[in-house]
Amino acid sequence: MEKATVVVIGGGATGVGILRDLCMRGVDAILIEQQDLGYGTSSRYHGLLHSGGRYAVKDAEAGKECIEENRILRKIGKHCVEDTEGFFVRTQLDDEAFEPKWLEACAKVGIPAIPISVAEARRLEPNLSAKIKAVYRVPDAAIDGFRMVWQNVASARKYGGRVKTYTTVIGIEQSNNQVIGMKIRNSLTGEISNIACDFIVSAAGSWAGKIAELAGINVHVQPDRGTLIAFNHRITSRIINRLRPSSDGDIFVPHGSITILGTTSVSVESPEDNIPNAKEVLDLLKIGEVLFEDLRSYRLLRAFAGTRPLYSADPNAKGRGASRGFVTLDHAHDGLTGFISVAGGKFTTYRLMGEKVTDLVCQYLNVKTACRTALEPLVDDASPALMAKAHRYFPAYGAELAASRLGSEALEKVIVRMQEKPEKRQLICECENVTMAEVEEAAADSTSHMISDVRRKTRMGMGTCQGAFCTFRSVGAVDANGLSWGQDTNVLFKEFLQGRYKGIRPILWGNVMREMELSRGIYEGTLNINGAINNEEK
Amino acid sequence: MKKHFNNPDSCTACTVCVAHCPVSAATNKFRGPKMVGPTLERMRLSEEDVEPSLEYCSNCKNCDMSCPSGVPISTLNMLARANYYKTRKQSKRDYILSHGEQAAKMASMLPFGAAIANLGMSMSRGIMKQIGISDKAPLPPYASTSFIKQFKALRQQSYPDKVVFYPGCFINYNDPGVGMDFVAVMQANQYEVIVESDLVCCGSPLVVNGFLDEAEANAKTNIQILKKWTDQGIPVITCCTSCGLMLKQEYQELFHIEGVEEYAQHLYDAGEFLLELYDKGRLNTKFGALNEQYLYHAPCHLRAQGMGLPSLELLGLIPGLEVKNADAGCCGISGNYGFKEDKYDIAMKIGAPLFQKIKESGLSTVVSECGTCRLQIGHGAQVKTLHPMTLVRKSYEANGQ
Amino acid sequence: MRKNDVIVIGGGLAGLLAAAVAAKEGKKVLILSLGAGTLTIGGGIIDVLGYVDGTAPVATPRAGLLKILPEHPYKKIGTVALEESIKFFKEICAGEGYPYMGNLDEMQWVPTAAGTLKPTCLVPKTMNTAELKKTDTVVVLGFEALKDFYPHLITKNFVNIPGFSNKKYEIVMIDPNIADGRDVTALDVARWLDTPEGLKDCTEKMAKVLKPGSVVILPPVLGTRPDYHVADSLEKALQCTFIETASVPPSVTGLRLQTMLLRYVKKLGVGFVEQALVTRSIVEKGKCLAVVTAGIDRERTYYGENFILANGGFYGGGLVAEPGQVIEPIFNLPVSAPSDHELWANSNLFSNEPQPFAKIGIDVDEKMRPLGEDGKVVLANVFVAGRNLQGYDFCFEKSGNGVALASGYQCGMSTHRERK
Repeated sequence: MEKATVVVIGGGATGVGILRDLCMRGVDAILIEQQDLGYGTSSRYHGLLHSGGRYAVKDAEAGKECIEENRILRKIGKHCVEDTEGFFVRTQLDDEAFEPKWLEACAKVGIPAIPISVAEARRLEPNLSAKIKAVYRVPDAAIDGFRMVWQNVASARKYGGRVKTYTTVIGIEQSNNQVIGMKIRNSLTGEISNIACDFIVSAAGSWAGKIAELAGINVHVQPDRGTLIAFNHRITSRIINRLRPSSDGDIFVPHGSITILGTTSVSVESPEDNIPNAKEVLDLLKIGEVLFEDLRSYRLLRAFAGTRPLYSADPNAKGRGASRGFVTLDHAHDGLTGFISVAGGKFTTYRLMGEKVTDLVCQYLNVKTACRTALEPLVDDASPALMAKAHRYFPAYGAELAASRLGSEALEKVIVRMQEKPEKRQLICECENVTMAEVEEAAADSTSHMISDVRRKTRMGMGTCQGAFCTFRSVGAVDANGLSWGQDTNVLFKEFLQGRYKGIRPILWGNVMREMELSRGIYEGTLNINGAINNEEK
Repeated sequence: MKKHFNNPDSCTACTVCVAHCPVSAATNKFRGPKMVGPTLERMRLSEEDVEPSLEYCSNCKNCDMSCPSGVPISTLNMLARANYYKTRKQSKRDYILSHGEQAAKMASMLPFGAAIANLGMSMSRGIMKQIGISDKAPLPPYASTSFIKQFKALRQQSYPDKVVFYPGCFINYNDPGVGMDFVAVMQANQYEVIVESDLVCCGSPLVVNGFLDEAEANAKTNIQILKKWTDQGIPVITCCTSCGLMLKQEYQELFHIEGVEEYAQHLYDAGEFLLELYDKGRLNTKFGALNEQYLYHAPCHLRAQGMGLPSLELLGLIPGLEVKNADAGCCGISGNYGFKEDKYDIAMKIGAPLFQKIKESGLSTVVSECGTCRLQIGHGAQVKTLHPMTLVRKSYEANGQ
Repeated sequence: MRKNDVIVIGGGLAGLLAAAVAAKEGKKVLILSLGAGTLTIGGGIIDVLGYVDGTAPVATPRAGLLKILPEHPYKKIGTVALEESIKFFKEICAGEGYPYMGNLDEMQWVPTAAGTLKPTCLVPKTMNTAELKKTDTVVVLGFEALKDFYPHLITKNFVNIPGFSNKKYEIVMIDPNIADGRDVTALDVARWLDTPEGLKDCTEKMAKVLKPGSVVILPPVLGTRPDYHVADSLEKALQCTFIETASVPPSVTGLRLQTMLLRYVKKLGVGFVEQALVTRSIVEKGKCLAVVTAGIDRERTYYGENFILANGGFYGGGLVAEPGQVIEPIFNLPVSAPSDHELWANSNLFSNEPQPFAKIGIDVDEKMRPLGEDGKVVLANVFVAGRNLQGYDFCFEKSGNGVALASGYQCGMSTHRERK
């Protein structure tokens, strides 16, 4: 039977942050995730490393946490963080009176908000509307959510951490009011097994309620859905926030080659409710075009949605009213020792959440090691020598991107693959510059079970063509190397393309419609993937 | 600035441009228009790096023409190239090839300057090869008297209808006869031709080697001079299709110059202008019979202008004249691309199907509007070449016009 | 003033066929084209009809025609005209030295690079699968460094296909050694084989790994020219049968067909304007007088007697999709589309049924003239071909090139039969 001292449930930012902290303090820990890492909220948000400006007025505590953690994350996760800085922009539609309130709140909390002229702002960001009224610079930054999650895992692994994906928790086992283990189910194979453990930490985000239910405990998490849209190119190189009380569609965030606009907020029943619809997209566009007048002429890439877990002791508090601060719930108070839930919070403060939770767990375990997660970088920088080497093997614009994603150790492994077989230098994904060697490296990881898992690790298929070409190449390459996870290649095609389709369906007009016709033309028209699937399903 | 339909954001990564790129067909070193253009453009907005095969793009515009999405692929390449040179210096070779106007001007100013320069050029091919200019490529000799000098010496008949002629460097310094033929044709149509001697190089050879700021300066100079006339509704005519493309289209795609959309509306290719006169019933149709046979080559930069092949259609009005479209793709030279030592073989490979077709036709002369195309065809197929205006003039004169 | 008998908007397969038909009837034809069409994307085989509903493929294209709905273009065109169009197409190909094979009474199941079979109707000889069905052993030949062909996809998946499960499968690889800095595609290999040196080199390399009498599946690389020189040469030298797969873009089979058709229409004297974006029309009293292109410099007007709209549906710009509506920008022809955008697409990409958005298009009569919501002809001298037509999902059905062919043909014939 599998054993660990601590089992962390939930492979989002909070969970991996806890895993890392535990492992760095010498605790034997394993993380269980129901799908792929970062599947939940951690990959379904703007990717904003808050300066805190957004919370300064309404939630000073949250604002303060943000600015402090912002500084820490830039240090430890510098490959995940793009230091874009941000603007807060008051438009002609926004209440003038809010501006001084906001400035005051920022000052109180310690968030630098430097005024610049509209002309200067537009010189720096020429796409901004000419009608805007006021602009302030803040130290916002952009985080690549997937990458941060993965690099936390890479760091945890260095300290012996283990991860199991596509694994659902189906039961919590206790004896004498003490946790002794859990029952898990591999969702790909159906296999059921047990893990013996002393402690369970639930960082299951929107699913925290469901996990707690397994132990007969009530944790009230209200899933709140937010929809976001991604644009095909960098509309802005800086984060642009609306200077008004927090509302829908307030924020534009650049991420590498794309821009994300979000978000919305609506209470939903199920944490799985992550399918956006066309109306939400149109609403976002309407709001966004106040900041960027040409917004509707920009190419959309996809729409996506996630649920943010809003915790409240009061089951009736909803939406933005409920606190975004986090809570640590020690269920010893509910009669079960060895079970903690952590709820609420936001990505920016994941590390702090991890620290607080780990402090509590370590108290129980009598582990005295200090927390070092704020001090040690997640991954080692690639040395200049290694980068020089990488530049010899990667195609143009590929080396730095790959180094950022992979970190030093994995980068070396990828280069070795390229050295052994030069054709591995070829690009599987041309839109996002991902080589065959990197795709294979990602496919070989124990947590990869389908092409989408490879995508999340590499950005393959996340560019302009949304998989129109790389689907075929990646299935072929992965299969040719015996890495296809025992799956039928037609199933691999279907899974990946369906995943891409989910984000395309709500924005099916303009150039997105054209891309869809191309994609269907290739996979259905030419390669008859749907015919093969239908034949098999008989 | 007018919103042209060209939009880099529309790329669907379909690869049609890759299938139609003549350079990609000739060499596997070039990573192709899709990659080097719109795909890496997305990367360029967020990162600094260099794509080494960017230098292989010849700016022939075949990618733009084949694109179903209206992506200005070649423009993206040229802008990327210019950006590259913001922090680096062009080679001496590229400088020389881009600044042909300067050398030509000097040669034309001195007595016997052209002859001396030509002698010098032919003797120094070995040295030129050292700095990277192919010793095999058909570098054009200077004419003994420039077009502008010849024009100034000419007594034109004055007419109320006028056009401004933009000769461009090649006609002015290397092939002035074409310019004179054009003037004669316009006169036969009762048009007076105006020539402004302060006009400068259109900038096309500057753009391809990354001298974008200089090209912009030239653009501003030219627009300022030409706008005087276009603002009065007087058309500006080009006989060189690369100059035409640059003046009317690339000035808009590459730069943001005040008034350029308005001025571009009055720019015409010579053949196009005469055909429009024909549509209006204004063309002198007293063509004399020319019982001759030619092959016609459509310059890529003409096809890219979206007006078909007007000179070929115009020649169709001349009785007895048989002109067949070679329809064999790019000749390979694309401006000064084919003069480069490291690109000469590629250029010749690209033009090979055209040369083959010419050979198979058995015809001894090929007609084309573009000066460098004529050089390349003359060199690659060992035939004589003519500008369509020369035939039109010949036809008029055959009928006593 | 210059005027054309027929102006064709769009130079893809539908437009080229329409132009060829009209020109053969002696008309003065002008093609206005933006972009190079989608033959080099979708490939050069002619899918007529493979699936009608989700349960199973139809036995033959002709059998499928009996099951299609009244709104389907083939129903408007009629089986007779469809047959004529196929005959017309095959005659062109044969005349140009690149004959196609196939007919409505036989389904051609061709191998694809994904290891599936796809149903099609007309194929070049290099995709003749007769030997594939007969042979006991199938050799799959791959090229080193060719990133868009993975032999394993075929050998692994074919064993699951009825009729192919008892065959033996072998993979052989040859190294064309043509990589020189960029990733290698099938197009690069095909161009290598276009050259005498490449063909010789390839023949020698293949001789080392192929036994005479082998039936060989390979990527579409047997030359880019519309002739069988490369295929014949290899088959003769090696005594093997070569079968090309359908594959991802850039499509070599599409390039061959496009080259051939362009050459053919130009031989017929069809005029061609490239880089021509038609943005509007000049209409008077229900008749179109001219169409107008928008250049970066100015507009240009082209006058004609008849106009054929073959500009590629959503992909080609003939139809523009907006949230809750679809616009045909040149003639403002009515296009019906659900105003609730949620109804445009199935929740799954691969369903057992067509996608609603794929069937959005223009309604026409049997002459391919556009109809309004009242069922009346909107413009008497405008004809619609190809993806602009409503009522069919070419990806689901496998009917893209077939509809383009037949509707292009029908448009061309309709202009001929137009009485003034």
